[in-house]
Amino acid sequence: MREIIKLGLILLIITSVAGLILGITNDITQEIIQERALEETREALVTLLPEAEEFDIIEEAELLDRRFIQEIYSGSKNGEIVGYTIKVNPQGYDGRIEMLVGISSEGTITGVKIGDHTETPGLGSKIADASYIDQFVDRGTEEEFISTLGGETGEQYIEAISGATVSSDAVVDGVNSARSLFVEELQDR
Amino acid sequence: MNISSLFVILISAILVNNFVLSRFLGICPFLGVSKQVETAFGMGMAVTFVMAMASIITYLVQILILDNLGIQYMQTIAFILVIASLVQLVEMIIQKTSPTLYQSLGVFLPLITTNCAVLGLTILNISQDFNMIESIFHAIGAAIGFSLAIVLFAAIRERLELAHVPKAFKGFPIALITASLMSLAFLGFAGLV
Amino acid sequence: MKPNRIFMKGILYDNPVFIQMLGMCPVLAVTNTAFNGFGMGMATTAVLVGSNTVISLIKQFIPSKIRIPSFIVVIATFVTIVGMLLRAYLPALNEALGIFIPLIVVNCLILARAESFASKNSTPGSIIDGLGMGLGFTAALVVLGIVREWLGVGTIFGQAVMWSTFEPARFMSMPPGAFLALGLLLAGFNKIMSKDLNEL
Repeated sequence: MREIIKLGLILLIITSVAGLILGITNDITQEIIQERALEETREALVTLLPEAEEFDIIEEAELLDRRFIQEIYSGSKNGEIVGYTIKVNPQGYDGRIEMLVGISSEGTITGVKIGDHTETPGLGSKIADASYIDQFVDRGTEEEFISTLGGETGEQYIEAISGATVSSDAVVDGVNSARSLFVEELQDR
Repeated sequence: MNISSLFVILISAILVNNFVLSRFLGICPFLGVSKQVETAFGMGMAVTFVMAMASIITYLVQILILDNLGIQYMQTIAFILVIASLVQLVEMIIQKTSPTLYQSLGVFLPLITTNCAVLGLTILNISQDFNMIESIFHAIGAAIGFSLAIVLFAAIRERLELAHVPKAFKGFPIALITASLMSLAFLGFAGLV
Repeated sequence: MKPNRIFMKGILYDNPVFIQMLGMCPVLAVTNTAFNGFGMGMATTAVLVGSNTVISLIKQFIPSKIRIPSFIVVIATFVTIVGMLLRAYLPALNEALGIFIPLIVVNCLILARAESFASKNSTPGSIIDGLGMGLGFTAALVVLGIVREWLGVGTIFGQAVMWSTFEPARFMSMPPGAFLALGLLLAGFNKIMSKDLNEL
């Protein structure tokens, strides 16, 4: 019995020392990592809402509880809100797809940017290609977007990538969740 | 959550993103324990069992301990310790309750601790934001994918033993080239869903 | 054993990849470019040298019954530190290596060196052993990375080396190419080594 306690104690000491060292390293590196992440997000925000001069994060639990919604930013110019950038993470073919959706306060999509994802290289990864993702630009937000392979045309149809329909559907899902957040909550503010 | 998304996770882990042939997780046992179909099958079963258990426990550890205390950086240490103790525990339980099962699986259990497919699975579960049920489906898919790859590979290697192989290619080189052809075949699943 | 003998063992005679076949997951997974292979090799070397040093220092305090879990904790600590540093200072490399950074913990090479060398030898010897094995591992990864990047993308360390109309074989950057390239390299290594042995 005493043997077991002794062994456990030694293991505990080793783990505690390890934890302490990691805690310190974490404190030092975390700041740099966060700063970089902030910088990257900032750059992405500016490309999606070039009009805006200032960005503020919106942290309302009720809004962030909505499906796929990760982060919400409002972009403003001279104190007036010109649009929103919404970070969503729909479930793709293999893991989540992180993406940013920019919507102007008039209700047009200013752009969609694909961030981290693990879709199949050469197939699903085409969602980040301009030929696909720029379909969203300047579309209105009155209706839900629909992913299609049939070539239907219309404000709400987005032509999917053949061979990667799951990934395409996921992107449309993501944009739709940002759209409904905008229409139901943000537009009338 | 809907059933179809669970199904996508399952199929994707078995075929499209096969843990061994396209993610390169669990290569050591894949090359090391695949000389005979029977042992390969035993390894597959042992891994399946540990993967399913490990997914559930590490998920709880992440949610209840790491996230709660804000010490996510302890993830690697915590998960590998969970897996190591789990493997030890499973070994003891099987040894006591079912000597026959222990005879067939026992030798593989210690090898599983350093099988990166298990640790990889638990980390992927968290990094992909899977909930408990999705994690379990992911684990089952990963385990089936691993077993499928290793058993198929062993079946090919059994026949390879009888073939004439140039001297320099004997052993691992020809095994790797065989694995390459299998991996190529699995690439065909890429556009499946 | 002389220091240079320990060192050369890791680089050549006991090369972790070509001779011992240890730690094969990252060898296959992250060698789609030479730079990724190099980064992975250096990260593994850092962990290996760190864990070998610490384990050789504390070996007399660790009862043999709990040595494996203790080694794992030491290794996991170094892996986490390397992961944090990469995330802070080399985020692009961290992204490319992804899950294989935390998975350095289960690289059999590191535990094998802890068990068979660091827990039995002096600290300076263990550091040299870690360096030798780590650089041997790195060398193997870089060689494989060069071959795959050259054939799969037409560049080496990002520099174009082929003529402009060269059509790269995308296949080599994908998973099947990893198995194939390593298989062929190993066969070549066997051929050379067996010739060496015959001539001796």
